[in-house]
Amino acid sequence: MSFDVPDDRRYLESHEWATTGGDTVRIGVSDFAQDELGDVVFVELPEVGDEVAAGESFGVVESIKAVSDLYAPVSGEVVAVNEELFDRPELVNEDPYGDGWMLEVEPVDGGDAEGLLDADAYDDQIA
Amino acid sequence: MSRANGTPYAPHTDDETAAMLAAIGVDDEEALFDIPEAVAFDGEFGIDARTEREIRDECARVFARNDDLTEFLGRGHYGHYVPSVVDHLADRAEFLTSYTQYQPEVSQGFLQALFEYQSMLVELTGLDVANCSMYDAATALGEAATLADRVRSTAGDTVLVPEQLREGKRAVLENYCDGADLTVETYPMTDGTADVDALADRAGDDVAMVYAESPTVRGCIEERLAAIGDLADETDALFVLGSDVVALSVLESPAAVGADVVVGEAGSLGLPTAYGMGLGIFACSDEFLRQVPGRLVGASEERAPPEGARDGGAGGADAGGTRAYTLTLQTREQHIRKERATSNICTNQAWVALRAAIHAATLGPDGLVDLANDCVREAEALAARIDELSGAAAPVHDRHHFREFAVRVDQPAEAIATDLEGEGFAVHAIDDHLLQVCVTDLNAGRTDGLVAAFEEVL
Repeated sequence: MSFDVPDDRRYLESHEWATTGGDTVRIGVSDFAQDELGDVVFVELPEVGDEVAAGESFGVVESIKAVSDLYAPVSGEVVAVNEELFDRPELVNEDPYGDGWMLEVEPVDGGDAEGLLDADAYDDQIA
Repeated sequence: MSRANGTPYAPHTDDETAAMLAAIGVDDEEALFDIPEAVAFDGEFGIDARTEREIRDECARVFARNDDLTEFLGRGHYGHYVPSVVDHLADRAEFLTSYTQYQPEVSQGFLQALFEYQSMLVELTGLDVANCSMYDAATALGEAATLADRVRSTAGDTVLVPEQLREGKRAVLENYCDGADLTVETYPMTDGTADVDALADRAGDDVAMVYAESPTVRGCIEERLAAIGDLADETDALFVLGSDVVALSVLESPAAVGADVVVGEAGSLGLPTAYGMGLGIFACSDEFLRQVPGRLVGASEERAPPEGARDGGAGGADAGGTRAYTLTLQTREQHIRKERATSNICTNQAWVALRAAIHAATLGPDGLVDLANDCVREAEALAARIDELSGAAAPVHDRHHFREFAVRVDQPAEAIATDLEGEGFAVHAIDDHLLQVCVTDLNAGRTDGLVAAFEEVL
């Protein structure tokens, strides 16, 4: 089965995605990740104003069969949290690249996504 | 060689032991172990082997040295008559095991009993969720504070507690808060209950949790819980209510006064007052389901898969739609993900919770209410009788009381308590001229004696 891997963003090996090119970086998990997890029942996210650090855990996603840490693709301050997920965690499954987004971060280093995988590299990884 | 060899508990005789050592070619038992001399115990244990009969006689001699006082003691620790059916059922081998039975494949009966216990607490508190026990009221309070610290809806780091609070509770809470970088502050009380005006003055954005008790440590029923709940609500603090499982059957519902969490004791049911045991209750609203400490038993029933589910949803029942019980939401617990656990309490008092549930079920809803009403009536009646004596005034606080009340005495309270002990009665001395007396169905028949003893010593 093939998974959706949009090429307008970058990826972490741990299956998070990050948008590029804007003032803020939007973060979520990939189509592959939501499929691996199965039905998502709970998402634990930081609060606006919290700091996240690249490569470190910023939250937890829990499905009916697994619980996983979420890792930050970039360092910075959280400026928005998708509170919709607290009531409708299934959005992660339904629309992982859209309504299922998790955080928006104002990066400390200009949002340098270097070291993140591009769509092709990530696609190869999950192939 | 010890006298214990050759008994059912150490079956090898000295001769057999010697034969075994000879067979493997070592001189003595020491040669079988490799314990460095630096840490090896070098001495006699001083433990004599005795027969069962000798042990029983010795214990009887020791117990005979206990005083035989009629207790009118409370302050967080209460006894009610425990029907014999509690022992008979709870002591059955299916329940009384050394390891709590959580495996759903083989423990449906025990899990159901715990689910019933949780359901009773949900009914008594009006809240959505109850866990299947904490160690005691003090740990439940500490866990409530760390929950308040964790939830998204609170921002502060101060925990407000009433100035009159049982010392042990306060100490345990301080321990919890110390590790969580929370600060414990007290608010004043007037006439045995919360000074709500002072609390309003203190409330603010830095407060994560407001704790109030009903009944209070002095047995007073708190009449302004709704006002305290509103205050907490206005400042986005959690309102945590401390109560008692018997009192909850007649007091206004915690949910109705805006309590977010209810903690307290259920050990007044199903347990004797001996050994200092408690049973902590912890209930809260659905909003905090993922933050609850301790264990939760869930029930599942077969239903249609939720729309969009690709694997039948979260059903745990069998194909016949039978209800099945299991521990649930375990990702909160430390055996799953230690670094993200809501609590380091990974055990609980399941068997004690079972006893409380059996006791409550035996009483039934009406019996529980009758018991609670007696706690109000007996305290009122005894206080009135003590109040008639010269040199004593009771109750000290102009409030409704539950089980216990304070007594003001003209003479030093310690001396009066000591004199009462001489008359065969135990009461608390809580201040220079204050005593506290607790009456339940266990000692209600001895109130004449207590009043006479008061008269004697005042």
